[in-house]
Amino acid sequence: MGRHIEQKIYHVEILPPKQDTEKLDAGLELFASKFARVMEGGYCACITDNAMGNLAFQGTEMIKELGLEPRENQVMIHLNTFHTKTDLDQILSDCRELGIRDLLVISGDGSDRLPRLAPKDIDATGVEAVTSVELLRYIRREHPGWFKLGVAFNPYEPEEHEFEKMHRKLAAGATFVITQPVIGRHPVVDKLLATFPDLPVTVEAWMSKKLELLSEAVGYEIPQGTPYDPFANLAELHANYPDCGVYLALLGFKTQFDLIKGTWK
Amino acid sequence: MIANTGALRGEYKNVWVVAEFLDGEVQKVTFELLGAARFLADARKSELWCVVLGDGASRAAKSLIAGGADVALVVDDPRLAKFVDENEAAALVRLIEAYKPEIVVCGATTRGRALIPRVAVTANCGLTADCTGLSIDPENGDLLQTRPAFGGNIMATIRCSNHRPQMATVRPRVMNALPPDASRKGRVVVEQLLPGDISTRKRVLEVFHDSENAVNLADARFIVSGGRGLKGPEGFALLKRLADALGGAVGASRAAVDSGWISYSHQVGQTGQTVQSTVYVACGISGQIQHLVGMQSCDYIIAIDKSPDTPMMQLADLAVVGDLYEVIPEMLRELAAT
Amino acid sequence: MKIVVCIKQVPGTTDAKIDPETKRIVREGISAVTNPFDVYAVEEAVRIKEKLGGEVVALSMGPPRADMVLREALSVGADSGILLSDRAFGGSDTWATGYALANAIKKIGGVDLVLCGKQAVDGDTAQVGPGIAAQLDWPQATYAMAITDITDSGFVVKRMHEDGWDLCDIDFPAVVTVVKDINQPRVPTLRGRLAAQKVQIPVWTAADIGAEPGKIGLDGSPTRVVKTAPPPMRHKDSLKVEGTAAECAAVIVRQLRLKSLA
Repeated sequence: MGRHIEQKIYHVEILPPKQDTEKLDAGLELFASKFARVMEGGYCACITDNAMGNLAFQGTEMIKELGLEPRENQVMIHLNTFHTKTDLDQILSDCRELGIRDLLVISGDGSDRLPRLAPKDIDATGVEAVTSVELLRYIRREHPGWFKLGVAFNPYEPEEHEFEKMHRKLAAGATFVITQPVIGRHPVVDKLLATFPDLPVTVEAWMSKKLELLSEAVGYEIPQGTPYDPFANLAELHANYPDCGVYLALLGFKTQFDLIKGTWK
Repeated sequence: MIANTGALRGEYKNVWVVAEFLDGEVQKVTFELLGAARFLADARKSELWCVVLGDGASRAAKSLIAGGADVALVVDDPRLAKFVDENEAAALVRLIEAYKPEIVVCGATTRGRALIPRVAVTANCGLTADCTGLSIDPENGDLLQTRPAFGGNIMATIRCSNHRPQMATVRPRVMNALPPDASRKGRVVVEQLLPGDISTRKRVLEVFHDSENAVNLADARFIVSGGRGLKGPEGFALLKRLADALGGAVGASRAAVDSGWISYSHQVGQTGQTVQSTVYVACGISGQIQHLVGMQSCDYIIAIDKSPDTPMMQLADLAVVGDLYEVIPEMLRELAAT
Repeated sequence: MKIVVCIKQVPGTTDAKIDPETKRIVREGISAVTNPFDVYAVEEAVRIKEKLGGEVVALSMGPPRADMVLREALSVGADSGILLSDRAFGGSDTWATGYALANAIKKIGGVDLVLCGKQAVDGDTAQVGPGIAAQLDWPQATYAMAITDITDSGFVVKRMHEDGWDLCDIDFPAVVTVVKDINQPRVPTLRGRLAAQKVQIPVWTAADIGAEPGKIGLDGSPTRVVKTAPPPMRHKDSLKVEGTAAECAAVIVRQLRLKSLA
């Protein structure tokens, strides 16, 4: 992942279609086309795992069923704790089969409909619930030396709490970090960089004009109707965080995708 | 469907409460229903009957009359010792067809909600489930039944104009029992269980009473819930002591579960469970909307937090500014003191 | 073994906002999903089939769009689906719904077991399962936590009660409604979903199931909703308390006692 930063490769988030979609074929086609464009463009496709607790199809099953072709180092799979052990092992083994090495390991959002790993499933002791920390340890144990494991950092949550979790995540085997969306600059992200100077950090750029959606996702208060230019923000992020990677969330494939070619200089 | 039109309607009279009789005892919900049904019977200028089916049911007659019934209709039979819905339903349908009550209500317990729909379908009547309000329409004497739907997000009022009896199951712990009056006069009507009532296709093998583990979030009356303000998993041991003292369950916010302090089965909120308890004590939970969505239907919300201005403190009916690690032990002392 | 699973399409609850007047949260459901409890019923049916062989038929009464929930059931292992759809069913209350579903089950024929979720999360009545049992005059078991010891003639079911549980031995054919404790439903796979897309789902009308007009739809519904309203407002006068821990505790306990809660 440090490589993605050195080589100025954007992380582009793609969401698989939700399971309750009434237009599955169209959704599958759209995913396949986005994936292909990201591969061609030389970027890294980051595929989400039941984002927001909404039942969706898995990245690895999408790639396999649709016969998509992941290029080396250009795919990152999100992986959360809301799986059965069988499904978890299947996803990890599919990743290996497909040559995918980058995983973003998160606790994730649950729902009524999703199963959850129990501590005994992954031989985790001393905890009541499985979090990303225990999942990191499991993956390292079962697949030593194969995966590069990243974790999330949320500058909008109380600092002390986030840093304490970060220490544990790093101890459990995380080697890179992706932050929640940053607007311009965030002092807690600055502190993260200062605290861990050798840790590859990628900041998330919110590419949708609708900032209110961001406030719902992270609880970051933004007054209604504030004008927001995603590309201006992207430029600011590059300027403020020259040693960080950038993760593009909600990138519009019709109007914005072609524009990111020259934005990371 | 055969509607009981005007002339036939006149044949239906009196309000019935179907008692919940377990292990020789009338359950509390029955007395709550007698309290509510008393008003209905008075409004209809008719009698209030309480129907009790069970092994040893005749012993209950006195307390039912003291609880407000004018008549105790008793079916006392050892074959009714265990809950076989089909048998009780068959007997009730037969009794309803014989006596023609105008209104029949029962507690919306697991047994009530298994039994009464079966009765309503067989007797060709309308049934409203889990009511929280019952009243008589002054214009035409119909029973008006109010109940929550959509997980408590709307209140619906239902009427059954053309079929008799009008039936309803009523949520426990909502209505109020009358103070028992041993001097109340009433009579007892004795009926038998008939061979035709007994189903040969179901047998109860074993019954297990377990009031310890049975408390789960969805049915809990009290929930004591913890969030990030607990600062660590030990806080949940303290919350459990309070929950036990109140006879309730322990809940948690997503932040607490995500930190591995407690298992996901306790999580309340958008990505956890939705609860509708009578009391929700939020300890160190700031109240992000994703959490509030899961508990805002609780009747009485108490929040304990060091910070006075969180969304949870603003939503709470009782907002307590304090350190939960000090306040809760004091609460335990107060509760034990009586 | 032939199992029919009755499933319902209900509004999904996605967005939530606080209504400033009632201070209650209002959920806006735009998507439609399988009733959560029914998902557990489908899972249980498929598990029984996987263990003992047989056939699982998913049955739903709803608008044409409800064929989605049937396809979801197919994607996790149901063998076939049937949609009961007809304008004439519109406005059905639980009596009329139970009647229609029971008629469909009779038409399917040879059914040993009917499984349903304990209740639908829009109506919350829990009346249709027992209603179907009564229409068919079959034994029932509600709030089932486990179904075991299945033989050719019957099975054992563990029923959940407020104060514990009981075990019943029931003869086939029977109707069982399930609670979430019964299993953990599998997540549909893309492969399963794509296969389900290709399946033909027949639509049965009221005439197809021999339904009497007076027993379905509005005419067949003894109950009518006459009014809906938002829930009562939260108490306007909320109480704020500060002070020593002992003082705070005393206020809390007093409030609980005043409400006869402690």
